[in-house]
Amino acid sequence: MSFTALTPEVVSKDGTAMVLSMGPQHPSTHGVLQIMLEIEGENIVKSELEIGYLHTGIEKNCENQFWSTAQTNVERMDYLAPSSNALCYALAVEQLLGITADIPERAQQIRVLNSELTRIASHCVWLGTGGIDLGALSVFFYTFDLRENILDIQEAAGGARMHPNYIRVGGVNGDLPDGYLDRLDALIEKFPGRMCDLRTLLQANPILQDRMVDVGIISPEEAVQWNLTGPALRASGVAYDVRRAYPYTGYENFEFDVPVREEGDSYARFLVRLDEMDESFRIVKQVRDKLKNTRGPVMIDNAKIAAPPKETIALSMEALIHHFKIMTEGFRVPPGDVYQAVEGPRGELGFYIVSDGGNRPYRIRTRPPSMYNLQALRGIAPGNLIADLVVMIGSLDPVFGEVDR
Amino acid sequence: MPSTQSPPLLGGAIDPTAVRPAINDATIERIDPARLHARLIELKNEGFTMLLDIGGVDYPQRKPRFDVVYHLLKMPIRKASLKEVGTPQRYRLLCGVPEERTILPTATDLWRSADWAEREIYDLFGLTFEGHPDMRRIQMPNDWEGYPLRKDYPLRGPAREKSPRPAFALKSNVNAGTPPSGRTLEALQAQIAKVLEQK
Repeated sequence: MSFTALTPEVVSKDGTAMVLSMGPQHPSTHGVLQIMLEIEGENIVKSELEIGYLHTGIEKNCENQFWSTAQTNVERMDYLAPSSNALCYALAVEQLLGITADIPERAQQIRVLNSELTRIASHCVWLGTGGIDLGALSVFFYTFDLRENILDIQEAAGGARMHPNYIRVGGVNGDLPDGYLDRLDALIEKFPGRMCDLRTLLQANPILQDRMVDVGIISPEEAVQWNLTGPALRASGVAYDVRRAYPYTGYENFEFDVPVREEGDSYARFLVRLDEMDESFRIVKQVRDKLKNTRGPVMIDNAKIAAPPKETIALSMEALIHHFKIMTEGFRVPPGDVYQAVEGPRGELGFYIVSDGGNRPYRIRTRPPSMYNLQALRGIAPGNLIADLVVMIGSLDPVFGEVDR
Repeated sequence: MPSTQSPPLLGGAIDPTAVRPAINDATIERIDPARLHARLIELKNEGFTMLLDIGGVDYPQRKPRFDVVYHLLKMPIRKASLKEVGTPQRYRLLCGVPEERTILPTATDLWRSADWAEREIYDLFGLTFEGHPDMRRIQMPNDWEGYPLRKDYPLRGPAREKSPRPAFALKSNVNAGTPPSGRTLEALQAQIAKVLEQK
C-alpha cells in the first residue's frame, strides 16, 4: 500500500485487535473517506481517518488564475453549496479592493437569496442521503425533487444548475431574468407543504429516533475544542452563527432565528438543520418581497473591476477598451491580506486571501468547515457501535470536495 | 486558462502583509516560532478558545520565507445564547518561519483540531511541527516528492516538466499522418511485430 500508511499494524499497535477498513468506496462515507476502525466485537475502540482521495489542488490552481477566473475553481470546493463559496470569495476580494460599501443594494439582496437557496438545496442533499443511511429510502426522492426546483431557479439566474458562477466580485452577473420571481413564487408555494411531509416522515419517526437520539454526543467544550462550526456547533448549545456575529452582505436587514439545541447528539444536529431550512425559507420570502420593490444596477459601476455591459461595446470606445483589458489581463487588487467568513451550510466558511498587487491571487487559503467537522469524528466515534458511525458521519455532513480541495 | 500571449502581471509586493490596507477583520500580531507556543497558551487563557484555522503562505523573496497564520476566535466554552456569543473577537497570529529552519512547535497539545491543519501545512509546504503525534502527509500520497503549495513548485508537477506539451498545435510540430500520441505508424507496427515475435 503506497498511498496510505494506515495499515492494520499502525492502527493496532500490539497487533491483537481486529482492524476494519471502511471506505474509501463505502456508500455511507458520503464521498471518498477511508476509516480504519479498531474494533472489539461491534464496538469501536479507535478510529483513524484517511482523507485526500479527492485532492485536486484547487488552492494551487487559483494562484495561476485571474481574480475573476479563480472564482470558478472556488465554487467547486463545496459543490453542494457553490453560491456560499462564491459569496465568501467575492466579499474577501471586495474587502481588499476597498469597494465593500459600493456594492448595489439589489445585488446584495440577490446574493442573500442565492446563498439561502443554496443552503436549502445543500440541506436537501444531506437529508436525502442521511435518510438513505438509515434505511429511509423514500425521503431521498422528496428532498431531491425540492432540490431540483431550487437548481432550476439557480439555472434561470446564473445559467448553470450546479455551479452557476452567478455571484461575482462587484455584484452579480446580470439582473434576474423575466419571470424569475414567478418561479420563485411557485417554489415558495410548494416549500411549506414539502417540509411538512419531511417532518411527518422523519421527525417523529420512532425508528429514526432510535438510531439518532444519544448517538455521537458532543459537549459544548468538545465542540469548541474540535473547532466545530455551523449546525454541529449549534446543536451542542453554542449559538454562533456568522450571519449574526459578523453580518455581511446585508443580513442585518432580515429577520431570522438561529436554531439552537442543547443535547449535542445526532438527533439535535438533525433538528437544527431542519429548522435552519425553515429559517432560510423565511429569509427567501423576505428577499422576494424586497426584490419586487427594488430596481437598479446589480453590478458595481467601476469599469476597472467589472467589465461594462456587452451592449455598450459597439457604442463606446472606452467600454471596448475596458472590456478588452478585463478579459485579457483581469483586474488588479491592492497588496494585503484579509480573512473573510460566511455562514455556509456546514459552518464557518472562511477565506484567507493574500494579494501581492497583481492580477492573480497570491494565495487563497480556505477554512473548510467540513474538514474540521469531520475531524471531530476521531473524537466522538470511539465507544460507539459501527452502525452508529454511519449516523455520525451523516450528522456531521462532510462534503469531500471541500475536505480535500 | 489565462491567455498565454499576455505576460503574467504579478504585483511584486514582497511582503503583502506589511503593506496591508486598513481592513478591520482581526487583531493582528507577528511572532517568532520560538515564542509562538507560549503566546498561544497566553491567548487561550485570555479566552481565545477556538483555533479557527491554521494556514501557510510562501513568500520566496522574503526573509523569513514562510508565514504560518493562526486564526483564533474568542468563543465561550459552554452553552451560550446568541447574545452571549455576540461578535466574538478574532485574533490573527502571523508566524514567520525561515527557510533554514522549518520547524515550529505544535498546537495539538492545546487544540485537538490543530492536528489535520498542521499535517496539511507539513504536506503542502514542508514545514514540520515539533511534538505533533502523527506527522505525515494528509492530502498527497505518502511517497510524493516536493511540497505543492510552495511557489517554486511547478503547477503541473515536477514529473510533467520533462515532457512539455506544445502550447499550440502548429503545423510545424504536427506531422501529417502522426497520431496524436506522437507515435508513428511504423513504430507501432514494429512494436506489434516485436510482441508477436516474442510469442
